[in-house]
Amino acid sequence: MEALFTPAAFTGYTYPNETVFPWGVLIVVYPYLTGLVAGAFTVSSLYQVFGMQRFKPVAHFALLASWCLMLFVPTPLLLHLGHPERAFNAVFTPHWTSAMAMFGYFAGFYILLLTLETWFVFRPHIVHQAQTLKGLPGLFYRVLTLGSYDLSEKAMRYDSKWIFALAVTGIPAAHGLHGYVGFLFGSLKSREWWSSDLMPVIFLFSAIISGTSLLIVLYVLSCKLRRVPVDVDCVKGMGYTLWGFVMFTLLLEGVEFANIVYKGREGIDMIMLFVSTRLLIPFFVVQIAIGAATPILILSFLFWRGVAGKALVTGITVAGCLVLINVIMMRFNVVIGGQEIAKTGKGLLYYPWELLGREGVLAAASVLIAPFLLMLLMVRVFPPWEDETKALSH
Amino acid sequence: MDEKEKLEKQQAGRRAFLGCLGGAVAGGAVAVTAGSVLPKQALAAAATTPESPPAPAAKAYDPTKHKWAFGVDATKCIGCLRCVEACKLENEVALDAHHFRTWVERYVYLDGEDTPHVDSQADPVNIAAAGTERDYRFSNRYKDEKVDKAFFVPKLCNHCTHPACVQVCPTGATFKTEDGAVVIDHTYCIGCQYCVQACPYGARFFNPEKRVTDKCTWCYHRITKGLMPACVEVCPVSARVFGDRNDKESTISKFLADNRVEVLKPETGNAPNVFYVGIDKDVS
Amino acid sequence: MPKHIVRLLLLLAGFAIVAITVRNHVVDKSFYKIGHYRADAVAEIAQDKPKFQGSASCESCHAVQFTAWSKSIHHSTDVGKVVKCEVCHGPGGGRDPDPGYVHAATGPVHPVNLKLAVPTDSRTTCGVCHEQIAARPLQQRQVVINDHAGTQQCTLCHDAHSPQTFNGSLVATAAPGNAVAGKSKAGACAACHGAAGITNASLPGPTLAGQNQAYLAAALTAYKTGKRSNPIMTGMAATVNSADINNITSYFSSLRCETSASIAAQAAAARKAGAAMCTNCHGTNGVSTSSSWPNLAGQSKDYIAAALKSYAGGQRSNVIMTTLAKSLSEPEIDKVAAYYAGATCK
Repeated sequence: MEALFTPAAFTGYTYPNETVFPWGVLIVVYPYLTGLVAGAFTVSSLYQVFGMQRFKPVAHFALLASWCLMLFVPTPLLLHLGHPERAFNAVFTPHWTSAMAMFGYFAGFYILLLTLETWFVFRPHIVHQAQTLKGLPGLFYRVLTLGSYDLSEKAMRYDSKWIFALAVTGIPAAHGLHGYVGFLFGSLKSREWWSSDLMPVIFLFSAIISGTSLLIVLYVLSCKLRRVPVDVDCVKGMGYTLWGFVMFTLLLEGVEFANIVYKGREGIDMIMLFVSTRLLIPFFVVQIAIGAATPILILSFLFWRGVAGKALVTGITVAGCLVLINVIMMRFNVVIGGQEIAKTGKGLLYYPWELLGREGVLAAASVLIAPFLLMLLMVRVFPPWEDETKALSH
Repeated sequence: MDEKEKLEKQQAGRRAFLGCLGGAVAGGAVAVTAGSVLPKQALAAAATTPESPPAPAAKAYDPTKHKWAFGVDATKCIGCLRCVEACKLENEVALDAHHFRTWVERYVYLDGEDTPHVDSQADPVNIAAAGTERDYRFSNRYKDEKVDKAFFVPKLCNHCTHPACVQVCPTGATFKTEDGAVVIDHTYCIGCQYCVQACPYGARFFNPEKRVTDKCTWCYHRITKGLMPACVEVCPVSARVFGDRNDKESTISKFLADNRVEVLKPETGNAPNVFYVGIDKDVS
Repeated sequence: MPKHIVRLLLLLAGFAIVAITVRNHVVDKSFYKIGHYRADAVAEIAQDKPKFQGSASCESCHAVQFTAWSKSIHHSTDVGKVVKCEVCHGPGGGRDPDPGYVHAATGPVHPVNLKLAVPTDSRTTCGVCHEQIAARPLQQRQVVINDHAGTQQCTLCHDAHSPQTFNGSLVATAAPGNAVAGKSKAGACAACHGAAGITNASLPGPTLAGQNQAYLAAALTAYKTGKRSNPIMTGMAATVNSADINNITSYFSSLRCETSASIAAQAAAARKAGAAMCTNCHGTNGVSTSSSWPNLAGQSKDYIAAALKSYAGGQRSNVIMTTLAKSLSEPEIDKVAAYYAGATCK
């Protein structure tokens, strides 16, 4: 019979029940995905709400990417649940003192909001396709039009008002969704490594940097694939955004860590032992040095020297890749790292890596890759690129 | 809805609930005195034989009339772990070293050391001593050391007044009953394990077979029938005490009156209802 | 308002209505009745059948054991030390979670096989509470099992249900006799057992001074009835009647000999001599811990060695001593005998 669980090895003393990790790599993927959603949506809103024209080339793609990612946000959670078929219990009888009870509502509302905004943004395209395509694809677009081909100036005015309203609502919704994830961890008094008032803010800022980085990487990648020139100004704008937010995230993480060390409450010995041995490479080297300090240095150098053109794009893309590593590493160090420090304050656990199985690495990787496959499909159904949209409408 | 109407509705609900519970208790009592002890063939005979002890009168259990609490006198605990075994058998907990509704910790201060060596029956050395995960023993691992101070501490769910686990449950599958027990509705739990994370005491675990969270219920199916929790029932040295705080003559009321008690991790604000005597600074 | 927006709003409204309807339909009727949970769940949780039944439920079928237990130290209600039946025998009711599961210590669980589970390994069963380990409170009786019992089971000596009742121990049935009358009858004894009942190396009989009367009476009776045989003693015993036996044994029992105090150093010496187990009953200084067993103080090495060999060989028989003597090799017997021969009685 297949083992029902994989027990963790431990040193020192841990409560006997702690040897089974409640949350595995799927729960690392979950905040990573929501972070990407919130970050990508932020970039999209910079254009939609704040009218930053330099983000126009990626604005629609950012929205579409958000939507694709958001659709998969519940999957790691559902895979993780003991009884996924009962998931709606949390929605039907939400226990309001639980941060987690909010998830269904936050996520549901946000998926709806993203869907609506995407729909409004791509409505001209939908109508155009509905009128030109035949057969099954045509039917698909015709259903999406809701039976109205109205693209009059009045209708478009309505649409842009809706888009603006949705984008404005989306900012608190996206950030609420992600701040909530931080709260989920930060509000638990049982774990010193999580229990921090700064946790929601840290999660939020790391979300923004991950989403921005993802857009940089995906945008540059898509330009290469589509063989169109990269809009350097747009990438530079995202580079600036990234620089600022990474700086702030790093500061917050530093402050939080300093707080834990300085307050030195019960269990600090175990935490110090943990960070100075097991977390040395994942935390200080990968997350802080490679994932945060290096991109800041790269970006600072690029902006300081006024590097332009291809070199600038390459530099910012490299920085973006590093930040993506930083954020997933941060999620890992928080989710798994927190559970590796025993609640007794007298022992450490070793996360039992699993490749197969419902909560194995393979499942987590699939969940992480799936939104990008969906994205590949969606950019064909709803082309988000400005140049193509223009070509189509002419 | 005005206040009076609301009150009436609540009372009606409670009456219906009590009726249901009364039935359950009666059914359970018959089964206890006959069905589960005697072979099936003897069941009919036992039910009609006048010598067989009469089933206790089915008295409806009223949760609002009780306020359960638990006491542990760590100075009495001999670390025999019969409570751990009884709990596993009584509550059909997975018979391995990773799922416990109750467990016992051993704190040993060796000569010249400031921090204790702590282990529980789930420690690999102790499992090796017992020979199997299904048996529970404390190995004699310190017999060749000079021991300054050592003691056992039985642990279980603290059935807190402000339970962190109930606070974080997204569905209402875990809750605090009116008589004070924190229990789980296994048919409603979605298995997110947020409560496992939230419990500062490590009292909860994920039941790998039922795929829901599991925990100590103070043997709710026993205490509602007038029995003691299984761990209290088998403790050979009365290190575990259980009872109703509403009853001033109960063992727990006397335990609380006669002793200076402490609770575990009071700084969490959970306000446990398991009270300890004779624990030490390093017990958490 | 443009048509597509109206339709969108209708779609959303429809979705909301469906969602609310589904929710109201799905949520359990008892939810929110008492609090944020299914009120019915409380009764469902309370419905499980208890498996541990309590000792009272054992009495009707196992009255003998129940009575023995209820009078024993394992039923010390005054100090709250009550080892209930199910502590050792496992739960009396309910079904084991794993059918066919055989517990390492208690065997199949009652009543799966409709039999009481009987622990076969009493060293394990008793050891869980009585093995001496760090952290076990001092007021708990505990022993270093290997010292205390060697390789023997606890139940060799201890009654399982009443552990301070010992198997094969002498019940002091002998009526206390008249020591003065006994002295007048004991003249012949001095030839072998010494003038004051204290023997020496040149005499063949064992020391009798201060010996437990019950033990002496039992021995003399055994010679008389032929249970024990000895060329001299068989003949001697034939000349006394039961009143004489009581009187003579009372006389010897009343004699005192000076013994050494029991000191900690002796325990180490006894352990070294392989006599640790013997000291449980016969004391480190040869003065037995209870009148159930004979004193060994002042016995000659040869007498003790001969006694052990006759237990091992079946010439003498005692439920405990036979097993213990059989477990000893000849050199071990000599070592033990030598240890006790050093315990003086002057």
